[in-house]
Amino acid sequence: MNHTPSSSTAPARGNHFGRILVIAGHAFTQLVRMKVFYFMAVFALIAIASNFLSLPQHAGPESMGAQVLNQIKSWSLGAMTLFSVVLSIVATALLLPKDIEDRTLYTILAKPVPRFDYLAGKLLGVILLVLVSLLMMDALMVGALQLRTSMVMSEQVGMVKSLGWGDDAIESLKQEIRANGSNWSLQGAVLAVFLRAAVMAALAILISTFSTSTLFTTIVSFLMYFIGYFQADARDVYLHGGEAGQGAVARIGSLLVSLVIPDFQLFNVIDAAIEGQAVPLVAMGKLCFVGIYYTLFYLFVSWFVFADKEF
Amino acid sequence: MNAPGKYAIVTAAILGFGAARLPYEAALSKELRDRNLFPVRLDIDTRERIGQTFSAVSLGGLRTLVATFLNLRAFTAFTETRWDDVAETFETIVALAPRTRYYWETGSWHQAYNAASYYVNDTKLPPVRRRYEWRNSIAKGRAFLERGIRNNPNDWSLHNNLGFLLTDPNKFTSFRDIDAAFLEAADHYAKAAASPGALDYVNRSRCYALARVAGHEAEALDMARRLYQESRKNHTPTLLCLLFVLESHEDPDGDSIARAERIFGSLETAYEQLSMHWQRTRERFPVHGVAQALGAMEIRLGIPAAESVINQPLPAPVGPDTWFQQ
Repeated sequence: MNHTPSSSTAPARGNHFGRILVIAGHAFTQLVRMKVFYFMAVFALIAIASNFLSLPQHAGPESMGAQVLNQIKSWSLGAMTLFSVVLSIVATALLLPKDIEDRTLYTILAKPVPRFDYLAGKLLGVILLVLVSLLMMDALMVGALQLRTSMVMSEQVGMVKSLGWGDDAIESLKQEIRANGSNWSLQGAVLAVFLRAAVMAALAILISTFSTSTLFTTIVSFLMYFIGYFQADARDVYLHGGEAGQGAVARIGSLLVSLVIPDFQLFNVIDAAIEGQAVPLVAMGKLCFVGIYYTLFYLFVSWFVFADKEF
Repeated sequence: MNAPGKYAIVTAAILGFGAARLPYEAALSKELRDRNLFPVRLDIDTRERIGQTFSAVSLGGLRTLVATFLNLRAFTAFTETRWDDVAETFETIVALAPRTRYYWETGSWHQAYNAASYYVNDTKLPPVRRRYEWRNSIAKGRAFLERGIRNNPNDWSLHNNLGFLLTDPNKFTSFRDIDAAFLEAADHYAKAAASPGALDYVNRSRCYALARVAGHEAEALDMARRLYQESRKNHTPTLLCLLFVLESHEDPDGDSIARAERIFGSLETAYEQLSMHWQRTRERFPVHGVAQALGAMEIRLGIPAAESVINQPLPAPVGPDTWFQQ
């Protein structure tokens, strides 16, 4: 198709937000119809397996409680990370080519719909899909964890009572089990997983605006994802490379990586939450800021590339 | 706008955006690390040990997940008594999850207890080698736990476990300076007691450790008296015996019968518990005034000389000298 003059010349009716929501709703429905939620069955299986599969453990029954709960958390959050990143990349990579293939894109852009609204709507649709998926997985994880926490609590308390532990010792044990169960820090970890997936979706939409195929977008996005975990190392090489005697070429190379690739290590508070540490609200607020900053920036750059792209 | 111009603007925007976020991200990264919310950076050795696949997964913020799987691998190595593999796997596990107490305690326990016991019983090896491996395993378990404490200085259970290891009669004979080991144990029990979530018994354990160090009897007596006054829960046979022994050390000429009745409540209980204390030779508890008190109590209670605990042979000493003879 040729350049779509109508989209740039005719005035857009309605407000941006309303249009974005309509497109987001459509993108969400489109993705749901692709039966993406089938993976929930796999997640449910993981949650159930981590809960009831009796894996060999080193320690005796007296110290089993916390370890079993940690296992459920690490398995569940691991699966959430994997599913959310795959979903955000693949769903985003599919959207534009699918709209071109179905010719929906031409219909939309022939109408007075600003291209920014189209892209923002698509991105919001994917983010919504990731959010709903994560909420469902979170509910399953919390349910499994609550169930197991109460089981561990009654088993352990019963055992230590029979051993003649005092009340203060039993209370201390209960506190330890509760700290390893479901808590707000765990929800902070789920939020970090969501933010990372949202940034990844925004990056994938940027790549898809100049990519030629779904496969290219998917591969490049996954590459960016993995390189993103080394960004912090590259930044350190740049910032402290002079003290370590790094050459100029290495420092310039590391600077480029630091400037271009997002830092995905920042969202690695997940491990701390699994290990039972409290994630402060201030830290979560700063992470949210980083996530929103990246997402909006990539969205605006995508729009800039997409604004006068011809189809 | 032509394509090259557009891509030049995009590149400039990405670089500009990167430059704007760089200091913020560096500061946030440091803040999260300082708050212990960030896993420590994986060194090259650890990355090599866990392999490429696990390395990629662990980079994705899933280190605890990788640690869970490696824990299963360590269990297999443990069941096959491949102690070097157990140690190496736990090195990797704690590099991935340094804040999980369970891994530090289990890794140390495998070395100091399981591997050490294995070498005590492994008659296929020559005695000298067994003794060396036994001592070495305990030292490795101790060093592992000490590293765990450096990584988690406020974890009462790690301090408590190290205190326990240093005062274990099956282990302390492997240390060159046993008094220094008991002193260090007392120090770790004190740190455990000062850490959040600590259980009361660590204070008693501290007293038991300190009482065994020559020259620290007065300090141990103060502690024993304080614990005795504090709660009836502290009136354990060991604490009562140590209170008696340490008071006897402070005042050797005092009336031992009156002292025993005051501390234990009755002469019968005192005789029973001090008799057991007399026989607990392996733990190296002090026995100041115990023989004299037992003798006096036997006369008072009418126990015949043939049944006297003082005339009974003490349990044969066990330890490395007997374990590694064959």
